[in-house]
Amino acid sequence: MAITADDFSPAIALVGARKQRVNLTQARIRWMILALVLGFGVICGRLVMLGMVETDQSIEGQTRDVIQASRPPILDRNGLEMAVDIRVPSLYAEPRRIVDVEEAVRKLRTVLPDLREDWLRNRLSGDKGFVWVQRELTPAIEDAVMQLGIPGVDFITESKRFYPGMREASHILGSTNVDNQGIAGIERHMDTESIALLQELGLARGAALTPVELSIDMRAQHVMHDQVVDAMTRYQAIAAAGVMMDIHTGEIIALASVPDFDPNDPASALVKDTFNRVTAGIFEPGSTFKTVTLAGALDSGMVKLTDQFDARYGVRFGRFTIDDFHGKHRILSLPEVYKYSSNIGTIRVMQAMGKDAFRAFLSRMKFDERVQFELPEMRVPTVPKEFSEVGAATASFGHGLSVSPLHLVAAYSAFANGGNYIAPTIYKRDVATAEQLYERVISEDASASIRYLMRLNAISAGGSGSQMNKAALGYRAGGKTGTAEKVVDGRYSSSKVTNFFASAFPLDNPKYAMVIMVDEPKAENPQSGTTAGWNAGAITGRVIQRVAPMLGIAPDFSEALDQQIVPASVRQLYPEGF
Amino acid sequence: MIRTINIVLIFVSVAMLAGVYALKFSIEGTAAERTALTAKIHDQEGELSLLQADWAVLNQPGHVDPIVRRHEMELAVGPVKQEQFGAFTAIPMRPARPDTAAMDALFNAIAEGIDPIDAILELEGIE
Repeated sequence: MAITADDFSPAIALVGARKQRVNLTQARIRWMILALVLGFGVICGRLVMLGMVETDQSIEGQTRDVIQASRPPILDRNGLEMAVDIRVPSLYAEPRRIVDVEEAVRKLRTVLPDLREDWLRNRLSGDKGFVWVQRELTPAIEDAVMQLGIPGVDFITESKRFYPGMREASHILGSTNVDNQGIAGIERHMDTESIALLQELGLARGAALTPVELSIDMRAQHVMHDQVVDAMTRYQAIAAAGVMMDIHTGEIIALASVPDFDPNDPASALVKDTFNRVTAGIFEPGSTFKTVTLAGALDSGMVKLTDQFDARYGVRFGRFTIDDFHGKHRILSLPEVYKYSSNIGTIRVMQAMGKDAFRAFLSRMKFDERVQFELPEMRVPTVPKEFSEVGAATASFGHGLSVSPLHLVAAYSAFANGGNYIAPTIYKRDVATAEQLYERVISEDASASIRYLMRLNAISAGGSGSQMNKAALGYRAGGKTGTAEKVVDGRYSSSKVTNFFASAFPLDNPKYAMVIMVDEPKAENPQSGTTAGWNAGAITGRVIQRVAPMLGIAPDFSEALDQQIVPASVRQLYPEGF
Repeated sequence: MIRTINIVLIFVSVAMLAGVYALKFSIEGTAAERTALTAKIHDQEGELSLLQADWAVLNQPGHVDPIVRRHEMELAVGPVKQEQFGAFTAIPMRPARPDTAAMDALFNAIAEGIDPIDAILELEGIE
């Protein structure tokens, strides 16, 4: 049997084995296909699942870096904080986790009644993963909302910029938006420099950044701001501004302009007329520009301090005659031209220098370009490319061209510091660094003459700076007034004026230059006037009186100090000096 | 022999298992502690930032000035005037010689029992 079986088995087995193998293979293929189908099915299912998954819109992840990005504190030159970061809670919601929208709306409005009901309902309904409800709240509100115990509503701590000086340095600091990005002032400038990059990389988060030190002295800034605010009520002006600069380093010590805004409430910056008048306002500088004309003329050598100028009659240009405001109508020496602010005399000085040389000097003083300065709010001055005879004549006493107060203060700094132009800066800078940036614009001698003229205008009888000197007695201040009539309906109006006072102190060893601007002032009382000496000049005096001791300038009443700045050539003309 | 080794190994592995679990839980505990501390630091940093901001506000000249103005009358203070400044050069030089006559008079008076300070104190109503 076994043999038979052995005999037959191969034949049967041959068929059977083949069939068996075929069956087996088919079964394996089927299993394999099943496995593959299942495998692909799983992958497809997973793909569909992934496709269905909503992207997580929660604050976790990248966004957290952005909203918690901190900014470096801003300090004044003495280390007092001008801007700091504070951590404040912000309320957000996850609408898809909110169970009862109506209840959430009702409860939230008990703590935050300012939120509109329908807006809040809209906000909280839907299937979103993350929505802001209100940002930058107080810890007290955070506690109150947490007490409500609404599901799907939570807080996240954000960095918020806070300006402890409130309005005082608003135009210097600018402000930041809700995402902690600088939108104006030095905050914006910092962003363009480096902070934005740091924040983008997420490096700025929580890290203690090196403080930024500004050149501003908050004490001087307070006085300046106080005085320009005071000017708004005292003279019922529509605007006032002031800037003070260290003439050797170009550092801005104080800069204020009103109307201003509250940097803690950036929306207040959108109110009309709150722009920075020192950098972004351009005005006809009026007689303050006579200093520029005289400086240029003295530097050119065409005019000397002892020269005489015929101011008996007005200067005729075709149909126009330019005359003096308080005309002396006699022959004036150069110091008298300055002291009496003679338009005629200044035109003669400019003509002695030559109008092209005068125009070239304005370029040298950078009056026809933007001042190199960190604050982004800037306007290009309007100075004609070429002067006609009459254009040059009016420009010599500050009409027919518009520059910013910052231009003026930079020019006056150069005149006072020995003739070196230094671009102003809002960051700390020492004298050694500044000296490398010096650009000689007038000679030492011309600078000494201008210092003498400025002081002369303050202390000599009839000088337009006497109102200023009344308050600043002992601080050896001097300067020039400028009363520019405004153009109303195409004509110069005598009732609407922009007043300037550009000054430097202490003139025996000058350290600071200052420009004060008052827009459309009225007389303080019936005895006073509306010309610059009465308002811009008086403000300058009061500022110097308060600021000088802070800046380490001791008052000195000795006449010898005044006498020592009188140039020798003037002594021949006026032995008494002033 | 092998049985003993096995038993020992079983005990060792059980002990190690227990050790690993204990370590795991202690690490979890430490992590929780760390999270709590981080949260606390974060909270305190937030509070600190507010305190620093407060401090900065209180130090602002613009904040101090109105306070001074409010108390100007009571404290008899005012902005410094130019005349109030002095200099070392303005202080008169020390007299070349002491005033011997006045000193002698004073010492004699004290020796006689008259103390000029007593007179001043009586005048002021002290004592």
